[in-house]
This record gives sequence, structure tokens and C-alpha cells, in this order.
Amino acid sequence: MNSLEHTLQQAFQLAVPEVALVGVACVLFLLGTARGVNRHLAGFIALGGLAIAAISHFTALPRVPGIETVTPLLGDKFAMFVRMAAFATGAALVLFAWNECDDRRSSDYMACLLIATAGSSLVGTANDLIFLFLALELVSIPTYVMLYLPGLQSKKGQEAVVKYFMLSVMSSAMLLFGFSYIYGLTGTTNLAAIQEILPRLVAGSESTTAIIAIVFVTAGLGFRITAFPFHFYAPDVYEGGPTGTVAFLAFVPKVSGFAALLKLFAFLGSAHAVANEFVKQAMMLFWILSAITMTAGNVMGLLQNNLKRMLAYSGVANAGYMLIGLAVMPTQAYRGIDEAVVATGPEAIMFYLLAYGAMTIGTLTVISHLHSPNRPVETVDDVAGLRETHPYSAALLGIFLLSMIGLPLTAGFAGKFLLFMSALAAPAAAPMRDLFVALAVIGAVNAAIGAYYYLRVINAMFLRTSLSAPTPRRTAGPLWVTAIICAVFTVAFGVYPLPMINLSRAAVGGL
Amino acid sequence: MFEPSNLLLAVPALPLLGALLCVAFGSVKELRKWAHVPAVLCAALSCAAALTVVSNIGEADVHFPQDRTGEPISWFSVATATTKLSADFGLEADQLSGIMLIGITFIGTWIVVFSIGYMHGSPGYPRFFAAVSLFLASMTLLVLADNFLLMFAGWEGVGLCSYLLVGYWHDKPSAAAAARKAFLVTRLGDVGLLLGSFLLWQMAGRNSFNYQFIFEKAAEMVNAHPYLFPAACLLVFSGAVGKSAQFPLYVWLPDAMEGPTPVSALIHAATMVTAGVYLLARCAALFTLCPAVQATVAVIGAFTAILAAYIALTQNDLKRVLAYSTVSQLGFMFLALGCAGPVVPSFAVTAAVFHLFTHAFFKAVLFLSAGSVMHAMHDEIDMRLFSGLRKKLPVTHLAFLCGAAALAGLPLLSGFWSKDMILESALEAGESKRFGTLYYLLFGVAITTAAMTAFYTFRAYFRTFWGPLKMPEGAHPHETWVMNIPLLVLAIGALAVGIVAEPFTHWFSHFLGHAKTLVQADAGRVAEHHLNWPLMIGSGAVALLGIGVAWAMYAGNSQSADNLAKNLKTPYYASLNKLYVDEIYNVLIVQPFLMIAGFCKLCEAIVYDLVRLVAMVPRFLADLIRPLQNGLVQFYALSMAMGLAAIVGYLVLVAK
Repeated sequence: MNSLEHTLQQAFQLAVPEVALVGVACVLFLLGTARGVNRHLAGFIALGGLAIAAISHFTALPRVPGIETVTPLLGDKFAMFVRMAAFATGAALVLFAWNECDDRRSSDYMACLLIATAGSSLVGTANDLIFLFLALELVSIPTYVMLYLPGLQSKKGQEAVVKYFMLSVMSSAMLLFGFSYIYGLTGTTNLAAIQEILPRLVAGSESTTAIIAIVFVTAGLGFRITAFPFHFYAPDVYEGGPTGTVAFLAFVPKVSGFAALLKLFAFLGSAHAVANEFVKQAMMLFWILSAITMTAGNVMGLLQNNLKRMLAYSGVANAGYMLIGLAVMPTQAYRGIDEAVVATGPEAIMFYLLAYGAMTIGTLTVISHLHSPNRPVETVDDVAGLRETHPYSAALLGIFLLSMIGLPLTAGFAGKFLLFMSALAAPAAAPMRDLFVALAVIGAVNAAIGAYYYLRVINAMFLRTSLSAPTPRRTAGPLWVTAIICAVFTVAFGVYPLPMINLSRAAVGGL
Repeated sequence: MFEPSNLLLAVPALPLLGALLCVAFGSVKELRKWAHVPAVLCAALSCAAALTVVSNIGEADVHFPQDRTGEPISWFSVATATTKLSADFGLEADQLSGIMLIGITFIGTWIVVFSIGYMHGSPGYPRFFAAVSLFLASMTLLVLADNFLLMFAGWEGVGLCSYLLVGYWHDKPSAAAAARKAFLVTRLGDVGLLLGSFLLWQMAGRNSFNYQFIFEKAAEMVNAHPYLFPAACLLVFSGAVGKSAQFPLYVWLPDAMEGPTPVSALIHAATMVTAGVYLLARCAALFTLCPAVQATVAVIGAFTAILAAYIALTQNDLKRVLAYSTVSQLGFMFLALGCAGPVVPSFAVTAAVFHLFTHAFFKAVLFLSAGSVMHAMHDEIDMRLFSGLRKKLPVTHLAFLCGAAALAGLPLLSGFWSKDMILESALEAGESKRFGTLYYLLFGVAITTAAMTAFYTFRAYFRTFWGPLKMPEGAHPHETWVMNIPLLVLAIGALAVGIVAEPFTHWFSHFLGHAKTLVQADAGRVAEHHLNWPLMIGSGAVALLGIGVAWAMYAGNSQSADNLAKNLKTPYYASLNKLYVDEIYNVLIVQPFLMIAGFCKLCEAIVYDLVRLVAMVPRFLADLIRPLQNGLVQFYALSMAMGLAAIVGYLVLVAK
């Protein structure tokens, strides 16, 4: 019974886990008004909400798929991959932000975190432009609150919120503008339908309009993934924002941004047969964005003394690496059917996203753990001599930073290897093949530049002695669970990446 | 759970776990002195698992993963239409690995027990046991791997552990230097092994590193690549030369005696140094196809045997005598391996592996006895400083005597039987058409070496345990049960393992002869087992002659020995100074390399400045774009809009 009715019914079923999350979030909002609610209760409820969502994911999964070109939600493998990543990240971040807020505001914070998690999960499921936009906004709007809540009094925090709010709204406008062009061109908001129609249109006279649409969409999403020149907010917001929210901001918008980009531009592969020129233009767009983004991120990262600013630029650079995968995505269509390849662009992106998430969130957990108002840990000098005073923290931070550098046996290496290989393995028949080889080289040079500022931190931790009074010993909180999980992922994906690569491959197989 | 296949995995996994536990024990202050507990337990359990596995090797080999038809466990895999490079994890226990496993885990366990007493109270106690456990894990992985790459992982693992343990007392400069030397010299061979493995992979169709897969293509390969194939074999052999301390790479082994004595016994006598012998036995199916390579192997083996025996004649350091004797005995094994081809391969290889097996027992007991002496003599091992210890250290004396008699090849003891098989292989190889004379010559060398072996072994024995009682200052001779029990167990092994396993029952050769690689190498030829009485009587007489001379010269006072040394100055000093090989290497190899290094340092200074200059470019670029990041939100918004406009403009107007 593959009817319209069934399709709409299963569309609701697909959203059950997210509905559950939002429901729990509402409970938390209400609880926040009650007296005597402390942050531990809020944290446990949030974790419970995520558990309910995960369970309902397995129980409420529709068995018969609906009609692709009708349904607003699509439960393919890609959606499930994004959902699992979102829920896992949500749980890690709940533990991270356990003590971020005082007892009064914690339940509000956790509620916002759950809603944002639901939003990022829905991005993977969305099969409709409007739905996609709403899902992306569902990530953005709670973020404003999360940036604001923990540091109500701090001037820097307020500045960060305002900056993020203004620029985020602007980027959403760009995104919506691009969407309106796509709708205008194709006459539909359904993504599956757009994948069918758009290739035929770009072959004709509509290619200029389509290019403008693509650029605007990319600009809007470029803000979320911190691509140059839409990244300017990142350093200021990272520096001023509360660390738990920064961890969220560093990872979740990148996941939803890349998921949306992959879903939207999957049609480029099928368009090559009819509109070679157009596909080349689109590849050029991502090529330029990738090269500029990673170079700008790494070069600016060199100058930073503030750890969180440095991580912001590192996030920019990593977005640049991942854009390599997007740029080579259309070349997949030029490949022979049985031609084996180490990794295609989208596979590499999915793998690197998770690797990046583990190492970035991990780095921020350690910084957050060490930081206290009396003895701030903000600059490179603040972690000098960490090996002597906090050997375990230093070891963990060392693992994460080595992974950022991309040393073998870490997830960062495996991810970078896959991304660069995807560029080097562009099929011979594809246009711009030489340019992709050049892009891989630019990536490698950038990785070398980036190694410098990560190594500076490692050098400070292990080889220098503490400049001021050593940071006081702190008891390990729930935060440490997140840190250790991230470290295990970082090492496990690095030592034995094959299962994760296979998962990524399965996820992007249907695009 | 206790399937043979899972137990097979447990054999290397348990010592690995033991190593991790030792490290964990080391990080807790109260547990540090108990760090031997996980090491001993895991080694013993691993030994039990190994014995169970070996008892299950009947007609069929034991594999992990059990189902061989499914996807292998792959670390990574890269495949194109014509090439497949994949690092697979697969274990396989056949008869050859089984024999090795028994030796490694059984002797290893007793040596770990011995170390409890020997290492008591030394700094870094947990570190020692962690490294030894890791060694056992690597060594068992080496012999169980079913492909060249995984074997190489174990191979490098044992190299690393050897480095860590030779340099165990790392604040002692000589120990640090010895560790570095051991690592670098064996590394020379390792490079060859890796190249050889990849050559074989390439010739076998760029598909798999699996032994079975490559061996099956051996005949094809030798036809298609008549020169490249022997070259690959020689490269693999060079790995064996490095690890098993053969000429010209044997120089690291004597220096490796700087490590704690249990390490010398375990790694540098019983197990790791036999990895090369194992490798060649494993690859017998390949090597027997190249007679010239086999002749090279035999020549290198025999030459090393007599060279090392000659040096051992005059050494004063007890452990060094044993070290050179190890080099020499390994030479014997390679001589036997080199006879495979002219002789039925399963016979010659069995001779080598049998000698490996018996040698592991008696050399371990000799080293542990030497360790016991050293422990009692306040860490002094120079034979000129002590003598007549047989009353003070009765158990040690007995154990050493058993080991020495076995090593000397006294009739009916272990070493006698295995050495006899080697001599018989060489003699039989002399009857072959190609290289026949050469093998006769090598037989002569071998029998001479056997006499020298008996002499220098008993020279050491008489000088240490006979004569007037003499001890260095500060020595307080004592023996403890934790050291005595392993000594006695291994001593019994040294005496009996040979006669039980082979000469009358032929159990050993029948068992080993079923190994697939040997069946393939045999190509239908059948080994004849008979007792060659003239040869046995001859080699027994030679051993007795050597012992007799040693007795005459050293049992009482050593006046006659001193006179002989005075009369034969040149050969005496040549032997005492190890034939000046280290000095020759220093002039020929080390010094030129140092000169190159100096030149490189000069170049590096120039390159360094150039790189600094290049490294300034990103910083300069950063300073250029830094003003963009001015903190003004309106400017950020403007930048976004301008960026958007620029991209649209470029794509629509320029790139069209």
C-alpha cells in the first residue's frame, strides 16, 4: 500500500524520535520554573530524553518506504547516520554542559540543547526545502539562548551572542533566498523531485539562475560550516561563548550544514551527462571555497594565542578540508562502475565529520575542565607545564591535538587521508582532474602549516614549565566521560578505521 | 569459547594483556613489587593455551578466524582492478609454528619465573616484566601469523622489545650503546625482509601476502622471474641474517649481553634469534627452488659457526662466551637449512628446527646459570675474577654442567642428536651434483666447529666451577628456590628433550614433516631415517676430544693454557679481540657514515634557514588578512555580502 495516505503517515512516524525530544524539552522548560530543581535532575532528564528518542528510533521505524517525491521526510541510511551522530553528540554535550549553568538555568539550557539536537537530526531526514530550512533554524535558534544563558553577566558573552544572532539571521536570509530561486526554477519544494528536475533545467538557459541559487544556498550553509568569507563570527563567538556551547557550535552546525549540502547538491552527479559546463562551474565554486577556507583558517590560526580562538580557526581550516570532498563529489559520475576507490568525497566527509567532532569536543572538554574563574585557562601560556600538574589532562589533550595535526593512528589522520585520496583518485575522465590533484597538494601544505600551532600547545604542555601558579586540581565530573569517549573514538577510528569507513559508505550510498 | 581457534588467539593476546597489566601495576606505587604476578600468570596461561592448540594440530591446522572462506579481518585494504594491498589479521598454527610455540611459551614462562628472583629490587621492576610480556606476545604473533605482513609486525615487535630490554639499564652508557647497535644492525636486515616480502607479493600477482597463497605460486614465479625470485629469497634471508645474528650482521648479539641475564636467555638465546631460522623453515617451499641461494645460506651458516666458535675460544666474559656460542649454533642451523634441496628438505629443515628446539633448552639453562653466577658474584661476570664455585653454588653448577654437556654434544644428550642430524644433512648434501664439493667442505668446517664448541664450553665450565675457590669482593654466594626451580626444569629439558623427541621414535620429524610448506618443498621425496653410526661415533669422539683438551688445560691450574697463549700470540690475540671485526666495521662503515652525517648536517643548516624563510610566508599572509578580523559585526556582515557578490560575479561573468 504505497499510497499517498501511507506516505504522509510514515512521514510522521519518521519524526517520532525528534517529537519525543522536543516533548522532553518542553517538560524541562516547565520544570525550570519550579523551585528546587537542580542541574543534576535537569541533566538526567535530558539524558533520559535522548534515550527515549534513541529507543523510539528503533521501535517506530516505518517498514514500507513512502513515495520519495511526495514525502517531506525520508528515512534512508543517510538520515539514520545523521540521526545517530546527532543523538550521540547530544548525549556527549549534555555531559559536557552538566555544570555549565547554575541550578536555576540548567533545565532551560538542557531543553535548548535537546531541541537543537532534534533539529540537527531532522536535517538528515528532511526531504523538502521548507522542512530542511525549518530543521536548520531549529538548530540555530536554541543556540542563541545557549550562548546567552551560562554567562548572563559577562560582557564578552553578550557580545558573542549578538554577533552570532545578527550574522546567523543574515545567513538564513541568504539560504532562504537561494531556496526561493530553486523553487522558482523547479516549481517544487520536494528534494527528490528537485534532484530529478534540476539537471534538465541547468542544461538549458536556466543555468545562470541555477548558479545564483547554488551560490546563495552555499553561502547560507557556508556560515554554518564556517567557510570563508562567512566564518568571521567564529573566533569572536568561540572566545566569548561558554565552552560547552562552543563545543556544540563547533560541531553540530557543521554536521547539519554538510548534511544539507550533500543532500542538496547530490544532483550534480547526475547532471554531468547533460550539463557538463554547469557541473564544472559548481565544482569550481567548491574548489575555490575549499582552497581559500583552509588556507585562511590555518594562516590565521598561526597568530592566535587564545586557545578557543585557535580552535575556531582550526574549525575553519577543517571545514576547508571537508569541502574537498564536496568539490570532488560530482566526479563520482565519471567513474567506471566496477572501478574500486579508497573513498569517494561524500564518504570521506562523513568519516571526517565524526573524527573532527571527537577531537574538537575532546579538546574543549579538557580546556573546560581545567578552566576556573580564579585561574583561567585561555591562552597557550596557561597550559604550560600541564604535564607535571595534570598528567592525565595533558595526555588527553595531547591525543586530541595529535589527531588534529593528523598523525597516523589517529582519527584525524584517517580522515585527512580519505579526503586527500578522494581528490587524488578523481577519475581520469572527470574535468578539472589536475586541479583536484592541486587541491590535495594545497591540503597537504595546509596540514603542515596547521601542525605548527597545534604543536605549540603540545610543546607548552610537555616541554615548558608553568608560568604562574599551577591550575588547582579539579575533581573529575561528568565532563570526563565525554573526554574519554572522545579519546577512545579518536584512537579507535585511527587504529582501525575500516568499520567506520564502511558505515560512512553505506550512509552516502543512496545519495 | 575454548575452541582451538579462540585459544590460538589467546596465545599472543594473553601476554599482551599481561604487558598492559604490568604497566598498570607500575603506575600504582603499592603494586609495583607485585608486577611479576600478571606476567607470570599470563605467560603460564599462554603456555597452556599453546599446548592445547598444538595437541589439536592433527591432520588439519588451527586457524583464527576459524572460518577461512569468509572475509578476513582486515586492518586496511586498498584494492583496484589489478592490485590488492591488504593488511589482514589471520593466525595459523601448523606443525612448525606449534614447535616454535612450545619452545617460546614453555621456556618463556620459566624464564619469567627465574626473573622474579633475579630482578628483585632493581629499579623499573614493572618495566622489565611489561617488556618481557610484550616480547612474548610479539614472538608468538611472529610464529603464528599466516601472512608476511603480520609476521613482520611481530618481527618488529620483538626487535623493539629487544631494544628496550638490552637498554634496560639505560643510564649505563654501554647498555644504551648496545641497545642502539642491536636495533640498527638488525634493522639493516629488516629492510631486506620487507623488500623481499613486497617482491614476493608483486611476483605472486599483487594480491595477497598470505604464505599459502604465495607458496602455491612458487613454481610459477621461479619460471617467470628466474633472477628476481632468487633475489627476493636473498632479501628475505638478509632479514634472517640480521635477526639471527649471522655473518656479517652478528656483531650486535655479543653486545646485547648488556641486558639483564634472563633477557639474554630468553631473547638472545632461546627465542628471538631463532626467528630467522623459523622464517627460512617457513619459506622452505620457496628456498628449495633456488639451489644457489641455498648454497649461500649454507656457506654463511658454516662460516658464521666457525668464526664465532673461534672468537669464543679465548673470551674471558662468561656471558660473551655463551653469546658467541649462540651465534655459532645459529650458524649450524643455517647450515642445515641451506642443505634443504640437495637433501630431502623435510630432513634438513627438521634438523635445523630440531637443533633450534634443543638449543633453546640448553642455551637457556646455560644463560640462567650464568645469571645465577652473576647474581651471586655481585654482578661480576669476568671468569678471571672467580673460580671453584661448584661447592658454593651446587644447583647452578649442576644445571650449568647439564647445559654445557648438551651444548658440547656429549653423546646421548640433546645437543648431540640435533647436531648429528645437521652433520648428516651436510654430509648427504655433499653427494649432490651441484655444489657437492662445497657441501663436503662445509661438513669439514662443521665438524671442526663441533670440536671447538666442546672445548670452549668446558673451558668456561672448568674455569668457573673448578680450580681453587676465588671470588670478587662483596660477593655473597646464595641460591633461591625461585631461581633454582627453573634452572632444574630447564636442565632436565636440556638433557632429555633430544633423546625423547627424535633419534629412536622420530616423533619430531614425523610431526614436523607434515607441515604444508615442507610437504610442498619435498615434492614427493621421502626422507630416510636411519642412524648413521660412523658419523655418530665420530662426532661423539670429537666432542669428547674437545672436552678432554679443556679438562687438561683448565681443570687444574691454567699454566698450560697461558703457555699456549704465549706461543700462539697472533691467533690468540686475533680471537681475544674478536678478529677485529668491530674495528673493521668502524673504519669501513661507521666512519664513512659519520662523515656523510657531518656533511648532511652542514647541508641541513642551509636548508633549515631556507625553510625558516618559507615558513615566514604564511605568517606574512596572516598579517595581511588580520585587519579583516576587526571585531565589528557590521563589517563581518559586509564581508559576507561582498564575498557572495564576488563569487557570483566570478562564476557568472568570468568562469562562464
